[in-house]
Amino acid sequence: MNTLKGKVAIVGIGEVPTGRYPERSAIECAILAAQQAIQDAGISKQEIDTVIPTAALCNAAFNTDLVTGRIVEELGLHVNNNLQIFAGGATSAVMLKVAAGLIATGTSKAILFVHADKLGTSITDQEGIDLFSTAGISKEWEVPYGMHYSTVAGLITQRYMFETGTSAEQLAAVCVSNRKWAELNPNAMFRKPLTIESVLNSKILSWPLHAFESNMLADGGAAFVVVSAERARDLCECPAYLLGEGSRVTHFALSQDADLTRFGYAQAAAEAYQMAGLTPTDIDLAELYDSYPIFQLIALEELGLCQRGQAGAFVLNGSTWPGGRLPMTTNGGMLSQGHTGAGGGIAILVEAARQLMGKAGERQAPRARFAIETATGGTYVDAHVTILGTEIP
Amino acid sequence: MTEKPIPPVDPWTKPYWDAAREHKLLLQFCPRCSKHIFYPRRYCPDCNSDQLEWVESAGVGKVYAFTVVRNNAPSAFIGDIPYVVAVVRLDEGVQMMTNIVDCDLDLVQSGMPVEVVFEKLTDEITLPKFRPVSDQAGRS
Repeated sequence: MNTLKGKVAIVGIGEVPTGRYPERSAIECAILAAQQAIQDAGISKQEIDTVIPTAALCNAAFNTDLVTGRIVEELGLHVNNNLQIFAGGATSAVMLKVAAGLIATGTSKAILFVHADKLGTSITDQEGIDLFSTAGISKEWEVPYGMHYSTVAGLITQRYMFETGTSAEQLAAVCVSNRKWAELNPNAMFRKPLTIESVLNSKILSWPLHAFESNMLADGGAAFVVVSAERARDLCECPAYLLGEGSRVTHFALSQDADLTRFGYAQAAAEAYQMAGLTPTDIDLAELYDSYPIFQLIALEELGLCQRGQAGAFVLNGSTWPGGRLPMTTNGGMLSQGHTGAGGGIAILVEAARQLMGKAGERQAPRARFAIETATGGTYVDAHVTILGTEIP
Repeated sequence: MTEKPIPPVDPWTKPYWDAAREHKLLLQFCPRCSKHIFYPRRYCPDCNSDQLEWVESAGVGKVYAFTVVRNNAPSAFIGDIPYVVAVVRLDEGVQMMTNIVDCDLDLVQSGMPVEVVFEKLTDEITLPKFRPVSDQAGRS
């Protein structure tokens, strides 16, 4: 079967610090991140023939600028295509598979992906809550009941704890794990040490979800360059090859999903492992989409990295922390690096590539050959699993 | 205080809202699939039939998942804090998002039997909500 395995690789990454930067515009973030990614790839900017900026949520006019080619002009590129790809939090995985298709068919040769947003300072905290009490939530059947994203996470966390017996301490440990990585990440928003006690002492948002178990909206930007595997071998020592991918869309309205503790990860992972020719025991790094800690626990289990109901204990005993046997979400995730909209997942993909390319500095995982990554959008409507590696097995 | 969000009504959902105003919970039923459908659809999501019937639900089910909103509510719901958002599984086999009302919030749990009640939002829109069946959860 003709698959996307080993056809393309990420060869360059760029990222600006995530956080609250009122003086820094979103377009500046986009330009800086894109420049870094092109430089990191070691290619001439004229080799880029396709630019794919994803959606910015902070400002519709800025987003239209992205759709209509502002990045191309700002960077002085000469490209064939400028188009937007947006799948909410799942944008990272979707961008990569579309890129692989474009390159594998010869439609594009070098693709630059860019994300920049300003959700940390362009809106107030309450406006952020209000934005995420309507975006992607059914206006007829769910918005009228006071739903928003903390509520979504609260519902899923409650049912998961009910079914698995996972404790509040174990959930809080996920935030601590992410923070331990963020302490080593100069681009992260939150870098001060965090304890389980402080997570459990933070206020309740939507019970059982605590405030420190919620992501924080932030300003930021990231970019990456994808080329064919052949070109990647010319360009760099350790390209991050796409080895496998799988995905499932399970619902639009959260209430319509019959199992709020699993989603489509198991099926998506089975496809990704099969394409890559790998099994869970081959995985060195788990770059799991967080936004809330529950999604890392569900992914650890559904991806076969832990038994059902055991992920909380696995995280609590330090297995995912720096020095642990399965480094997880090593940029700190949206819980600690910050949530930049579609960029939350893109930062995690960029981190997976960074680790595989051996460029993660102080937080470099000692063994980083195969990384598995998850992404999901909306009210966790889809489950995307991507496997990247430094070699093609 | 921000106004409560009003659900938009489409031609194929209007019978649902008309019935809710009369304190009846309607579901769609696809005779071809012998299955209840919620939320109301233009076509059966399984077989694509547009010959969907309206049937009245018994209005009873069980709490599948729930959460108690205590902070960071959307503007229109700040005055309602604390409130329970829940996914309820009706006995007909469908799931719906709702609020659990008229009970001690700390006693709500997964599997708790609940029955429908109706809360008027506007002259046009009444929302089905749920409360514990009989005297569970401290309801007097």
